[in-house]
Amino acid sequence: MERGGVSELDQLVCKARRYVVLMAGYDPGIHLGSSLSVMEIVAALYGTGRVKFNVGNGAHNRNYFVLSKGHAIHAVYALAAAMGYLTLDELRETGSLGSRLQNHPEVDTPFVDVPNSGSLGQGISLAVGLALGLRLKGERGRVYLVVGDGELDEGQSWESFAVAAHYNLTNLVTIVDLNGVQLDGHSEEVLRKGDLAGRFKSLGFEVFEVNGHDVNQLISALERAEKSERPAVIIAKTVRGKGVPAIEDTAKQRLSRDDALKYAGNIC
Amino acid sequence: MLDIGSLTPRDALGKALADLGDLRKDVVVLVADTGETTRAKFFAERHPERFFNVGIAEQSLVGIAAGLALAGFMPYALTFAAFMTRAWEQARNSVDRMALPVRLVGTHAGFADAYDGPSHQALEDIALFRVLQNFTVLAPADSCEVYRVVTASAALKGPVYIRVGRDFHIPSTCELYDRFEVGKAYVVFDGSDVAIFTTGVVLPFAIEAAQLLRDRGISAAVIHFPSVKPLDYAAVEKYASATGAVLTVEEHMVYGGFGSAVAEYLSQTRPTKMAIMGLKSYGRTAKSPQELYQYFGLTPENIAARAEELVKLK
Repeated sequence: MERGGVSELDQLVCKARRYVVLMAGYDPGIHLGSSLSVMEIVAALYGTGRVKFNVGNGAHNRNYFVLSKGHAIHAVYALAAAMGYLTLDELRETGSLGSRLQNHPEVDTPFVDVPNSGSLGQGISLAVGLALGLRLKGERGRVYLVVGDGELDEGQSWESFAVAAHYNLTNLVTIVDLNGVQLDGHSEEVLRKGDLAGRFKSLGFEVFEVNGHDVNQLISALERAEKSERPAVIIAKTVRGKGVPAIEDTAKQRLSRDDALKYAGNIC
Repeated sequence: MLDIGSLTPRDALGKALADLGDLRKDVVVLVADTGETTRAKFFAERHPERFFNVGIAEQSLVGIAAGLALAGFMPYALTFAAFMTRAWEQARNSVDRMALPVRLVGTHAGFADAYDGPSHQALEDIALFRVLQNFTVLAPADSCEVYRVVTASAALKGPVYIRVGRDFHIPSTCELYDRFEVGKAYVVFDGSDVAIFTTGVVLPFAIEAAQLLRDRGISAAVIHFPSVKPLDYAAVEKYASATGAVLTVEEHMVYGGFGSAVAEYLSQTRPTKMAIMGLKSYGRTAKSPQELYQYFGLTPENIAARAEELVKLK
């Protein structure tokens, strides 16, 4: 199988999904549902080499990854383990005081270009500033920004998307993990998001809409987004908790340890 | 050489940034629809490619500045101090926790924007930025000091908050010293009966108060602290010990600001008779900052009276 090919990515996703569920068994504090919904998105970025787990400081013309929905960082840890950049022993320690795998991206968290994205909306401004700075320096790298649909409630999100559009940041590719669920429940009940594609389009974004659990669709949208002459956003329709029926499409983030171990065994 | 003392504080700010931009190619300037009023436009005119207006959006202003710092730039983000505090949580989470070299410049601080009333008058900003772990907090007294502080700030590590006024100032540091050093207090007058510590634009009021006190036979030291954080603990200690009575004066709430910083230190090292002068309420609309200083009692006469009371309590 060709490396980076879709079926290889599907296998990676499957393995990573199993690891996330295992992590939820070891640390009930992780945001399992959110990590599961964003898994293919993260895989489409790391699994195709767009962003890398082993980037040295000071590398030029490289791409950057910003996970604004920082609570889903376990999807990144799990994928890193599936690709051989973390051990299962380390995954088991996630959230422990001595572990570098903290439950939001922090300064000492591995694989994180832009830490401190735990406060929602703030990763968007950081990514826009980073993209603006890379362009000013003449760097060729892109910034891949992954946001949750819930955090689009934050006014700051739209403040900075407007800047991205105004300054025509074509080196910024945004992916919205549209799972339709937030802390208090379904977005339809908490706070309607309106016509998301329309909101982005009206600012000047080029918008692509895909099934966020279809790696093929994600990659093809990424390829088109990278060619866009405007800042691009990929709205990826996903299911929160994807792969674990007990929490799918609910605000639930947790499983009992027994359930986690049981479900993990059934994935792949 | 242009006489900086003859500029308004915000003109000195704009000039300092434009000059800094000549020296350092990594300096970028961001505003929240405040390029004109903060005089960041002086930088924009000379360095248009490194100037960004993010619109009326302070949270985005601070976050984008942090992103530019991640890309290796040294961003100066300018808006009214009253509205910079709107992005306090961004300053905490996006800037301070990574100790990024972002410089937040809050203009129209204190009563500088008398005309627009309490919504535009920042009296809490020192307290809010002082509490953040990595922030340096600077409050220059006049245009000479604004210029020196802003140009010197580029060499500081980590995030910095600089508190600047608008047009009102009485030049009082131009001849006091040549080079700004962070964390250093400057002695205006030595004295033995009472020490008046100031930060920001109230320095000339304290100088006048010391002269009034001299006429009453009271020897007042006046020490100016452009750095609220780091605070010159050695100077605090020295003058508390030499006089046994410390009066702090600031154009800021008496809660959590400069006086609190002095009190936090002295109460734990050398308990000293102390009074904190500043504001205890929101401001109001007026025709000038001077009217507000009178109305709220931040005057040389009141400073002298408080100092005299303190001397009697010793």
